[in-house]
Amino acid sequence: MRRENAISAALAVAMLTAVILPGCGSEGDSGVTEIEILQYKPEAAAYFDRVEDEFNESHDDIHLTISSPNDASTIMRTRFIREDYPDIIGIGGDINYSYYVDAGILADVSDYEGISDINPSYVDILESLEIVPTEGTYGVPYAANAAGVLYNREMFEEHGWEIPETWDELIQLCEDIKSEGILPFYFGFRDTWTCLAPWNALAVGLAPSDTCQNVNAGETTFSKEYRETAQKCLELLDYGPDDPFAYGYNDACTAFANGESAMYPIGSYAVPQIKQVNPDMNIDSFVMPGNNDASENTLNSGVDLMFAVTEACEDKDAALEVISFLLEDDNIQAYIDDQNAIPCKAGEFELASELDGMASFIEAGNMTDYQDHYYPSEMAADALIQTFLINGDVDTFLEDFDTRWQRYNRDIIREVQQYNEEHGTAE
Amino acid sequence: MKKANDSKRTYMLITIPILALFVCFNTVPLIRGVIYSFTNFKGFGDYDWVGLRNYMDLFTDPRIGNSYLFTIKLAIVATIVTNVISLVLALGLNSKIRGKTFLRAAYFVPNVLGALVVGYIFQYIFTYILPEIGKMVGNKTLSTSLLSSTSLAWIAIVVVCAWQNIAMNTIIYISGLQTVPEDVYEAGDLDGATGWKKFRYLTFPLIIPFFTINMVLCVKNFLMVFDQIMAMTQGGPAQSTESISYLIYQNGMEGGSFGYQSANAVVFFIVIVAISVAQMSISSKKEEQL
Amino acid sequence: MYEKMKARINWPVTILLFIGLLTIAFPLYMAIVIAFKQPSEMTTSISGILSLPETWSLSNFAQAMELTDFWRSLGNSLLVTVMTVVLSIVLHSLMGYAVGRNKAHSRFYNIVYLFIVSGMFVPFAILMMPLAKQTAEMHLDNWTGVILLYVVFYMPMNLLLYTGYLVNIPIALEEASRVDGASTWRTFWKIIFPIMKPMHATVAVITALAVWNDVMTPLVIMAGSGQNTLPLAQLTFQTQFGTNYNLAFASYLLALVPIIIFYVICQKQIINGVVNGAVK
Repeated sequence: MRRENAISAALAVAMLTAVILPGCGSEGDSGVTEIEILQYKPEAAAYFDRVEDEFNESHDDIHLTISSPNDASTIMRTRFIREDYPDIIGIGGDINYSYYVDAGILADVSDYEGISDINPSYVDILESLEIVPTEGTYGVPYAANAAGVLYNREMFEEHGWEIPETWDELIQLCEDIKSEGILPFYFGFRDTWTCLAPWNALAVGLAPSDTCQNVNAGETTFSKEYRETAQKCLELLDYGPDDPFAYGYNDACTAFANGESAMYPIGSYAVPQIKQVNPDMNIDSFVMPGNNDASENTLNSGVDLMFAVTEACEDKDAALEVISFLLEDDNIQAYIDDQNAIPCKAGEFELASELDGMASFIEAGNMTDYQDHYYPSEMAADALIQTFLINGDVDTFLEDFDTRWQRYNRDIIREVQQYNEEHGTAE
Repeated sequence: MKKANDSKRTYMLITIPILALFVCFNTVPLIRGVIYSFTNFKGFGDYDWVGLRNYMDLFTDPRIGNSYLFTIKLAIVATIVTNVISLVLALGLNSKIRGKTFLRAAYFVPNVLGALVVGYIFQYIFTYILPEIGKMVGNKTLSTSLLSSTSLAWIAIVVVCAWQNIAMNTIIYISGLQTVPEDVYEAGDLDGATGWKKFRYLTFPLIIPFFTINMVLCVKNFLMVFDQIMAMTQGGPAQSTESISYLIYQNGMEGGSFGYQSANAVVFFIVIVAISVAQMSISSKKEEQL
Repeated sequence: MYEKMKARINWPVTILLFIGLLTIAFPLYMAIVIAFKQPSEMTTSISGILSLPETWSLSNFAQAMELTDFWRSLGNSLLVTVMTVVLSIVLHSLMGYAVGRNKAHSRFYNIVYLFIVSGMFVPFAILMMPLAKQTAEMHLDNWTGVILLYVVFYMPMNLLLYTGYLVNIPIALEEASRVDGASTWRTFWKIIFPIMKPMHATVAVITALAVWNDVMTPLVIMAGSGQNTLPLAQLTFQTQFGTNYNLAFASYLLALVPIIIFYVICQKQIINGVVNGAVK
């Protein structure tokens, strides 16, 4: 009997040891600096694998690892909570960046000379994402994307349709397309986030670019600023499929690729997905004309990928050296070819032909950030917009938008207003 | 006397370490989660104590209210549908049929597939195939996608949840039916009991423990529905299918309101425990009566 | 009359069951067809969706295997699943025995029982962040940690099943063994554990399925260490801006094979042996 008890005791001890005793290995110290990048775009994994190899071949003192995991947002969050920070993170220019700057996770890289090569519009975009104006620069913009309207170039040439430059022209174009028995737009609104594509593209032309900051400062409301955007967004529905909420993003890409509609209001990021279905498709894009004054149109473009050095990074110079390598012209060109992206670096780069219609805006620097980059994701603005597009009630929607904004941004609003009281109103 | 002590000690020596493991990886993190529910923790960075603010907010947030209504509605309907169908299936699969092994294996397949995969397949069916069938039979409601209708999308979720869960429930019912000794039926046959009566008064009382397990499993699975929502509707259309788990994950993990959603999770936990305890005590009373 | 019924096959039920099988076959058919098609064959019309692929080429499967690093991911998935199942059967049946035999007369065991079973209802999302932190602190952000967590996560469910099953096993059986001088520990292994075989099979199937398809736990605990399980590797087919359903479905079908084999093996156990011999 003693023996059996001994066995169960041993079992107990073994289990507890397994739980308590760490099984960890240590790393050798070889004088080589380890730099790790965690970037959030798994679709660009092949590109980053190649860059990683090239970098390591040409550098003896720094060893670079780039991970492009499939669910980077969750992985980033869990690594932050266990305080296991990568040296560099590759993220998008959206509210998460704002949070990370606010939380002091990112390091100030304003001394980095590479910043001066970056197109200032994109540096400004990052600047204005900061919740309260924060001294310094916390990210190096790498690539941007743009949203507007993709169109089937062959179909347009065949029917002699012209690219619209004003809202009235767009509506007229839709009527013309419709009268030939072709569907003007395809939508994939079952995937709520796709509702944001036409929304953003219209909002940049119709609402002030600093709408969200002004609301946070208590100076205006969305009911005032978003009414026209909402109405026009709703109007577009007349030119889409009968039941746009039945289809998802993939369905819409497939349908557009198969020539079921002439246009598709989505971002440049959709091109690879469309070409997967129809590799020979000739696609071009144009800026969504929200206004009737063509000069007020602006391209909806934001930072899709930036690199930020974390505060925890031990060798910031090495990290910046890696970023400089990534910013070499050849690498940038390779990235934008691969991802159909827009470079954030100033200089001569060859843009994908799918961006032809947007090129003049990019060259002129006439770009405005996505409004939704300021929306906290838990507010589910996309779902709100979907709800609105289903029931078509502008007033209720705007009211909900305002209420929900106040609810989910409470802490930010308090921070902004406190800052403004201390520093005098920013503007 | 010595023997009783010895066995007591053995029981303890088994229980304590396993319990410790459980406390370590379930209770301790749960307590940490509860602590977060009193903060405005985003999931990273600093946070402040906000007292009961998160809990007060829960009761004024229409989104939370709607998600509870949706989830509970889904759980009740899906539980009933699943249990009725799987009981019938189990009776069928337990009777004298050809190809029993094949059929039993085939009916289990849905449970083997991951919920995400099932969600994707059904998304195709609901988007493209069902509407065509609806048009063919001239039914107006069916000729548009169920998933795009704010009033009907939840039914699509019920169908998928049931389709997948019926398999496991059926297996549990079959193993229950196997415990019913043949002589019970023989006795029933002598009394002239047939069909429904035989089931109601002879079979069913004997498989009540299995019924309880199935009910608890179903209610738990359906109240915590997540993957199906993720794959099929992502809470849409018009937020009509936001389940509680979906909200907690989406806003707590992906978004920046970890503290708030922790409070939601705590309340949710209490609600499910309450429901399940009620359920189990009702059915154990039933068991005693029979 | 009874003798006759016993021999006769119930044809109406058989036929109905085979018809009912369509509800399972149809979605599976779709998954298979999609897995064999090329992205360019995808359309949005019903005939296009239901049509057979132009060629039955295995290229999607080959590509899917390459992209998911199939054999390695499969190995990882098998390791985690097998370890979890074995540990669950041993630990949970022990726990089920200790708790099940005492909860009727001991307050302590009753509380332990309710405490653990209620753990079933803890939403994973609330545990996720604290667990990520805790496992890292304990240096368990690796396979060991993932397996331990699974053993804990499925404990409530399995404890419920084992204690429920234990009610069916007459105490008389153990007492006979004790009279022969065997200890409680020995009685469990010699008498109870073998009798629980059908429940082991049920637990094995439920646990294995849950582990096999789970994405969240390894994702959060291993946090991109590059060691993928199959479901984790399959995330690669899906990014916000692009999903290749054809490759994804090919990969899902591949991942299905091992678990189906496993189920077919366990099935006999679950459904046959129940209490047979022991009770009668």
